Amino acid sequence: MTMNYKKITWLCLIVAMIMAMTACAKGPSDSESASSAKNDKDITIAVNQNFTTLDPQNVSDTLSISATHAMYEGLVGFDKNMTIKPVLATDYKVSKDGLVYTFNLRKNVKFHDGATFDANAVKANFDRIQGSKGSLTASHYLKNLKDIKVIDDNTVQFTLTKPFSAMLNKFAMIPMISPKAIKKYGKNIGLHPVGTGPFEFVKWNQGESLILKKNPDYWDSNYPKVNKVTFKSVPENGSRVAMLKTGEADFVYPLPEQNVKSLKSSSDISIDQTESTIVRYVSINTNKKPFNNKKVRLAMNYALNKDTYIKVVKNGFGSKLDSTMSPKTQFYSKQGVYEYNLDKAKKLMKEAGYPNGFSAEIWGDTASDTMKGMQFVQQQLAKIGIKLKVKAMEQGTLSNEIYSPKTPDQAKVQLWYVSWSPSSGDADGATRSLFSSESFPPNGANTAYYKNNEVDSLIKKANKSTDPDEQAKIYKQIQKDIYSDAPWIFLGVDTILSGHRNNLKGVYVLPDGSINIKNAQLK
Amino acid sequence: MAEIVTKTDYMPKSRGKLRSFCAAFIHKKTAVASFFFFCLLIILALIGPSIVPYNPQTPDYNHVLQGPSWLHLAGTDEYGRDVFSRLIVGTRLSLGVGISSVLLGAVAGTILGLISGYFGKWVDKTIMRICDVFFAFPDILLAIGIIAILGPGLQNVVIAVAIFNIPSFARVVRGKTLEVKEMLFIEATRSIGATKSRIIFKHVFPETFSTIIVYLTMNLGTAILAAASLSFLGLGASPSSSDWGAMLSMSRDYMGTAFHLVFFPGLIIFLTVLSLNIMGDGLRDVLDPKSKD
Amino acid sequence: MGKYVIKRIIGIIPLLVVVSFIVFLFIHLIPGDPARLIAGKEATVKEIQAIRHELHLDEPIFQQYLIYMDGLLHGDFGESIKSHIPVMHLIGERMLPSIELSLLSMGWALVFGILIGVLSAVFKNRWPDYGGMVTAVSGISLPNFWLGLVMIQLFSVQLGWLPTGGADSWKGYIMPSIALGAGIMAMIARFTRSSLVQTLKEDFIRTGRSRGLSSMTIVFGHALKSSLIPVVTVAGLQFGFLLGGSVVVETVFSFPGMGRLLIDSIQLRDYPVVQAELLLFSFEFILVNLVVDLLYGFLNPKISYET
Repeated sequence: MTMNYKKITWLCLIVAMIMAMTACAKGPSDSESASSAKNDKDITIAVNQNFTTLDPQNVSDTLSISATHAMYEGLVGFDKNMTIKPVLATDYKVSKDGLVYTFNLRKNVKFHDGATFDANAVKANFDRIQGSKGSLTASHYLKNLKDIKVIDDNTVQFTLTKPFSAMLNKFAMIPMISPKAIKKYGKNIGLHPVGTGPFEFVKWNQGESLILKKNPDYWDSNYPKVNKVTFKSVPENGSRVAMLKTGEADFVYPLPEQNVKSLKSSSDISIDQTESTIVRYVSINTNKKPFNNKKVRLAMNYALNKDTYIKVVKNGFGSKLDSTMSPKTQFYSKQGVYEYNLDKAKKLMKEAGYPNGFSAEIWGDTASDTMKGMQFVQQQLAKIGIKLKVKAMEQGTLSNEIYSPKTPDQAKVQLWYVSWSPSSGDADGATRSLFSSESFPPNGANTAYYKNNEVDSLIKKANKSTDPDEQAKIYKQIQKDIYSDAPWIFLGVDTILSGHRNNLKGVYVLPDGSINIKNAQLK
Repeated sequence: MAEIVTKTDYMPKSRGKLRSFCAAFIHKKTAVASFFFFCLLIILALIGPSIVPYNPQTPDYNHVLQGPSWLHLAGTDEYGRDVFSRLIVGTRLSLGVGISSVLLGAVAGTILGLISGYFGKWVDKTIMRICDVFFAFPDILLAIGIIAILGPGLQNVVIAVAIFNIPSFARVVRGKTLEVKEMLFIEATRSIGATKSRIIFKHVFPETFSTIIVYLTMNLGTAILAAASLSFLGLGASPSSSDWGAMLSMSRDYMGTAFHLVFFPGLIIFLTVLSLNIMGDGLRDVLDPKSKD
Repeated sequence: MGKYVIKRIIGIIPLLVVVSFIVFLFIHLIPGDPARLIAGKEATVKEIQAIRHELHLDEPIFQQYLIYMDGLLHGDFGESIKSHIPVMHLIGERMLPSIELSLLSMGWALVFGILIGVLSAVFKNRWPDYGGMVTAVSGISLPNFWLGLVMIQLFSVQLGWLPTGGADSWKGYIMPSIALGAGIMAMIARFTRSSLVQTLKEDFIRTGRSRGLSSMTIVFGHALKSSLIPVVTVAGLQFGFLLGGSVVVETVFSFPGMGRLLIDSIQLRDYPVVQAELLLFSFEFILVNLVVDLLYGFLNPKISYET
């Protein structure tokens, strides 16, 4: 009998091994070739999300913008410091009244499909956006556009309905698609990108990777310097860091702050820091009791230790938010920080009539850094008796809770832990949607329900002005007014962290969080 | 080879039942060990908050992310809170979520299963088809839906996990009911003229009880895991609570830098679920040897 | 038998219609406005209204359902609200990796699950039984995301043997399939064991033994086959779940499967994608159940299909 059991054991083992082997052989071996050794001139970039679309006029997330900016270019663009420079235009002129923009176009530029870039191509693009009746993201940028005229092959002229000081920033957000491709692919253009950029589209595996190759006919013959770029979506922070360590990725963004220490010891890896336009704050519903009392809002600001915030929540990376916008945003003006002062905070609470504090809710999304930040705010405000309930909500639900109330009185939001980055780095984008009384939800993101008539009229005035010096002065006043009213708990400005293998040069992250790969180069 | 045939299912239904159960269960050594471990957890859940060395909510920003030491047995977390204390206090939350969700699911599932099995025909068909649809629906979508509609928070996690449990209890109880229904004494009661609800709850239900107990124990483990997965996706317990799943999910970014933060909550979840499963196996062998689940 | 299969397949259609309605209703009931989520943070009410109108979101829900079903009947699953990419294309790309991963996970879970189950049953209440069962039970007791994270740390970062994720090569499938299969293996092992233990007590086995058949012949020749019925049920059920993709494991290993597509689409309230995916899941699930039923017949000829 014992003999038989032994036999059974052996048989089981053999069967198992055979089956396991066949199972492996049947596995996806055909795709093995794809992972064959990387070419010397190929780079891999690991990012934390999926690309949502590659239609450059319909992107709204920074990551997809990074990808489209590698394949597409606009008339103007941003340099490393978010200042405007000409790209597909060689120069431009703005009329005195701020209504007419004239662009001279670059000659001898071809799209990836061979179509010629000229004034008619530009018009075809703007026609596409305006014809979309608002369903393309880019149409938000053209609210004030009246018409576009082709002057000659290399000159186009735009006329606005009213002056809009941030218009050039908006032009930078509108890349040019080949008119031939627009006709050919129609709505599916997001799957078949054809632009003028330094890289051409090869393949997009949804949810996994995006592969680009060198555009050999790029108008600036100095670029690009690598043959192939692969973007990979790796949502798990730990996995992304692991890829950088193993060399599976040459560049990772974002690099989780908590991993910086462990990576610093590695001689193959460097870490880059960029000050961003992303500001972190808690918006306070100033329309609700007890937050309508300015003393309460000030007390909350004084009770929160920003140094500790940066140390604990941001692992030491980031700076204190000392205005309503980041130093990297246009027309930033520094204000005095509400430095941590617990006694002052307690005194203010007492004066406001809440010596023992009160209870409230803080809302945020379910990203791990948001949850970490909310907990920190909860711990800090507990010291002045404010008992916060942390409510992390899934994105869609949260957006519904914030934007569905039709009037300020219906709003349920009290405190919202959130971040903001103006999509085109302009002061208007960092102000109007957040602090103008026209922007109460659902019309905008003024979730503080902040209303200050002086600020309202200054915002309008700034938009009409065509003089940068005057604009700077107006925005200085706006920032001063808002900061002293404290409609937010001002927390910090993010430092963007990215990591790269030392043999890669030239890939960098812009202050708005988009990745630029045009200058990528391997040693 | 000697064969010992235990015929538990023919055992006389009397007070001796409990004694014979204990006598049989005591031989399952791993199950007994698990039982004691589970008792320990229950005790911790009851008295935990009063015996912990540190206040689990008090941050200490000067001692963040420290590894295990005699001062902090399981190290400190990203706010400098004592992980060991948090784990002990979290026992109540985590077990509470598991137990209440499984009980809720079991009650609803059992009622549906009894009705379905007893009445048969279209009632049975309808209930079982609905269960099929629930089975086919991805759990996670159901959870997101429920939590989106009801709002975040532990009580809604309980409801979401309870709903996962309903169809499986309904199926098992229905199967058992079908078996019991045909047994002689039920036929006898029916002929006396007892009401349907009386037959179902007084006579059929007790017969399914042992199956339910076994299933309850096993599903408790699964429920704890499900709640942890929800937390991992950011849909579970409030991140500031010391729920094990929430702790694990908050710490996953520290995998490479502070391994203890990931390790200890994972370990306690593993041990708890393991002990519940082994206990469930033992109970099943003794109480319900015919059951295949 | 053939008739039975045809009857079952035809029966799927009304079920799918019912499922499509429930799914449609359920998704639209979840709070959240796709137009708002797509338009971005700087959009105004007017712009959002325009998008809602274009997507027919401003019409009564029943009307919307009819529009959707009309497209469906013409084989049009619609396009993603977010990216304007046809839904079929989105799902098509994710389906193959998901199916491959499911097959692989199921494959090894079956092999090792049955193996452990047989060993445990044959050596009941001896050390291989205890060892096997504790291994198996461990499989269902581990949070699979935890297992995944620990494996990445060990095999990718420390040892450098396997890639951290992705589906580029067969190596990328190893760790996710282990994380996914561990729980299923455990279940299969337990079912195999308990079922085989029962069968080994049955009369026909004892008769076989008394006739002097060897243990191996008894276990593999007779007992195992008839013990596999519950195993097939549980394996089928689990396979159905696997095909739906696992959000958690796919997230940990950045695997481009259906689960992540689903959760991304839910977050954006991308209704057409979510609807199509759920319909597909239900279809797969029903299909798997049908196959399981047919396998019953193969394993136990006593079951007949005269329904």
